[in-house]
Amino acid sequence: MHDDFSEKEPKNIWQNQPTEPSAMTLETIREKVRKLHTQTRRQLLGTLVGPLVVAFFLVFGLKQFPSLRHLLQPLFALALVWSLAGLYFLSRGRRSPRAPEDMGFSTGLEFCRREIERQRDYLRRVVLWGFGPVILAIGTFVLALALAAGRGIFPKAMPFMTLVVVWIVAYFVIRMRQQRGLQREIEELNKIETENNW
Amino acid sequence: MESTSTGQAAQDDLYRDAVDKFGSSLERLASAYEADAEKRRDLSQDIHFQLWRSFQRYDARCSLRTWTYRVAHHVAASHVIRERRIFSTLVSMEELETLPDKDHGRFSAEQRMNLGRLSMLIQRLKPLDRQVIICWLEDMDAAAIGEITGLSPGNVAMRIHRIKNVLKRRFREGGSHA
Repeated sequence: MHDDFSEKEPKNIWQNQPTEPSAMTLETIREKVRKLHTQTRRQLLGTLVGPLVVAFFLVFGLKQFPSLRHLLQPLFALALVWSLAGLYFLSRGRRSPRAPEDMGFSTGLEFCRREIERQRDYLRRVVLWGFGPVILAIGTFVLALALAAGRGIFPKAMPFMTLVVVWIVAYFVIRMRQQRGLQREIEELNKIETENNW
Repeated sequence: MESTSTGQAAQDDLYRDAVDKFGSSLERLASAYEADAEKRRDLSQDIHFQLWRSFQRYDARCSLRTWTYRVAHHVAASHVIRERRIFSTLVSMEELETLPDKDHGRFSAEQRMNLGRLSMLIQRLKPLDRQVIICWLEDMDAAAIGEITGLSPGNVAMRIHRIKNVLKRRFREGGSHA
C-alpha cells in the first residue's frame, strides 16, 4: 500500500473515526443564549481592571501626598479619563465586526484575514487604552514618591523601580512580537488572495 | 409576533437538517481544530450554537453544506486565532512539506497509520490550510472547497496536491519503519 499510495486510505481513516455525538439540542442552545448574556457582562467587568488600578493609585497617591495635590490631581485625572475612554474602545474591539448570523456569507479566506486583523487591532487598543493609563498612573505615583522623599528614595526604591521597568519592557516586547506575528499572517493571506486573482 | 415564531421555526428546522446531514462531519471538524477533549467539547458546542444562530440569515444563496461548513470553520478558526500562544507554532502547507517529521519513531508503524497521526498533522496547520485538508478528507471536490474557503480552483488544486504529497511521504515513512 505504501508504494502504491491511495488517497482513499487517509479519507477512510478520517471518515470512519469514532466521534462523540453532540449533546446539543435546541433547548441547550437556548440555554446557551441566556448564558451568553451573563458572559458578556462578565467580560465587560474584566475591562474595568484598568480604571480600577488607576483609581487605586489616585486615591492612595492623593492620600499619601496631600501637599502635592496640585501636581498629582491633573495627572491622575488624565489617567482616569484615559482609562474610562479605554472602556469604550476596548469593548468595541472585543465585538466581532460582523454579527455571527452573517458568518456563512464570508469565505474562509475573508474570515481568517478579518479575524486576524481584528485580533491585531485589539492588541494595539489594549496597549494604548488599557496599558497606557496604568503606566501614567504608576509614573505619577513614582514621581510623587520621588518628590516627597527627595533623592534618598531612589536607592531604596531601586529594586521596585527595576521590577516595574522590566515588567513594562517585557509587556511591550511580548505585545509587539504578537502584533508582528499577526501582521505576517495577514500579509500571507493577502498574498494568497493576490494569487487567487491571477 | 407570528412572523418571529415562523422565522424561529424555520431556523430550528434548518439547524436540525444541517445536524442530521453533517453532524458527524462537524464533530470530526472540531477534533481537527482542538486536541484537548474538554476544549473540543466546548468548541463543538460553540459550533452548534453559532450554526443555529447563523440560520437566522440563511437565504439559500449557497448550499446548506457550504453554509454549514463555512460557519463551522469560521468558529473553529476563531478558536485557533484566539489561542494566540500556539499560533506561532502553526505552519503552512508549504512549510509542512519541508519539515522533518518530529514525531517519527515515537509511534509504532500501526499507530503511524492511524487517526492520531493524521489529526496531529492537521492540527499543526494554519486555519486556511486546515480548512482545505478537512474538506478534502470529507471527500469534497475542488469547486466545493473553493466555495467554502474562498480559494481559486487552481489554488485549491495546488494545496490538495501538496496535501497528497505530505500524506504520501508520511504514510510511506510509516510503512518503511514497520
